[in-house]
Amino acid sequence: MTANVDHLTFDQLCELADAPADAAWSETWRAHAASCAECAEQLRALTSLAEESSRLPREVAPPPELWTGIRAGLTPRARAARALRRDASRWRLAAAVLLVAVSSSALTMLAMRGRAVANATASASRMDSAPATTAPSTGQLPAQLASAELGYARSVDALRRTLDERRDSLAMSTVETVERSLRIADAAIAEAREALARDPGNGVLQQIFTSNYERKIDLLRRATELAPRT
Amino acid sequence: MSSALSLVQSHDVADAHRRPTGDDMLVERARRGDVDAFELLYRAHSARVYALCLRLTGDAVQAVELAQDVFIRAWEALSDFRGEASVATWLHRIAVNAMLTKRRGDQRRSARVALADDDEDDARDLAAGSSPARDVGTAIDLERAIASLPPGVRRAFVLHDVEGYTHEEIAEMTGLASGTLRAQLHRARQLLIQALNR
Repeated sequence: MTANVDHLTFDQLCELADAPADAAWSETWRAHAASCAECAEQLRALTSLAEESSRLPREVAPPPELWTGIRAGLTPRARAARALRRDASRWRLAAAVLLVAVSSSALTMLAMRGRAVANATASASRMDSAPATTAPSTGQLPAQLASAELGYARSVDALRRTLDERRDSLAMSTVETVERSLRIADAAIAEAREALARDPGNGVLQQIFTSNYERKIDLLRRATELAPRT
Repeated sequence: MSSALSLVQSHDVADAHRRPTGDDMLVERARRGDVDAFELLYRAHSARVYALCLRLTGDAVQAVELAQDVFIRAWEALSDFRGEASVATWLHRIAVNAMLTKRRGDQRRSARVALADDDEDDARDLAAGSSPARDVGTAIDLERAIASLPPGVRRAFVLHDVEGYTHEEIAEMTGLASGTLRAQLHRARQLLIQALNR
């Protein structure tokens, strides 16, 4: 059986190294690793790396001057200076999200236009030029993106819940800015999704789609940082 | 294995997460402005926090700055500490947040414009030999090799393989999808094995 199995990928070997020895799903992979010298060697290297990493010392003595610097940072004056910097960061947050949304939208348009030009060129070069057809709009994401979106959605939900819990500690103007920025981020995601539905194989659009999610998560994370626990 | 980091000291730290009673009292005193109590908290946890900062940054100078930031943030957020997690875990989370904030600041200053995940860029740069981590191939031991990893994949490796956090815990701390973290972790392992085999 194992003779017909291709070599395990590095990702599979990592999953195998992390899995409990009796995990049923890993049986086939383990059987292959047991009979394949190359995969066995990589698995051994991974296991060895994990063992050495777990044995690394967890404590490192800090230099003596560390406490001196911390002590100086606890004064009311130092705290006031940091509060000023935090206020400035609220404005930067809003500006950054707007910039991302605008550039993302423009890039989505460019990606679509680039693909359209390529399609038009290809069509024009065909001798028996049949009427150009557009890709069917299924409204569905490629499987890989759909799976990634599930992960993003879980992160968004968790951060959203945290933000909602701490909402009362934020100024109304900050809440409004964050909400407005989230709507812009959602619009950018929706726009990329719509474009992907028309052109699911477009790698640039796929990247824009995932980048938009990453940035929405970043926005939520930064907003929760601004909101202390109540 | 021997470590290249001369500051690394071996300690039994299995009980680092088990100091709730003493820590709670110190937190309560520090909340009322008692700097001496806060210094005791610092003395109890600074070695673990500094080790994490050192590995997250891969640089002793940046590690001092980050550790300083962590404890000042902790001082300011004492009123938010509800004791649901241990003080050690709470400080670790602050360290990861501070690291992420610092990294964003660095990126803004360098005016980087990138659509792709920055960490993926780092990994590509490393493969192309154009990143600051290009000397990873000369690493002679694990600590040095970890320090030479690109920041994103280093963070994933340190939190998962060294500190023992789960994918879900890291995802919660960093706000990244677990699939992204998994990819970063696998990339880190691949780079480390390559570095250590040379």
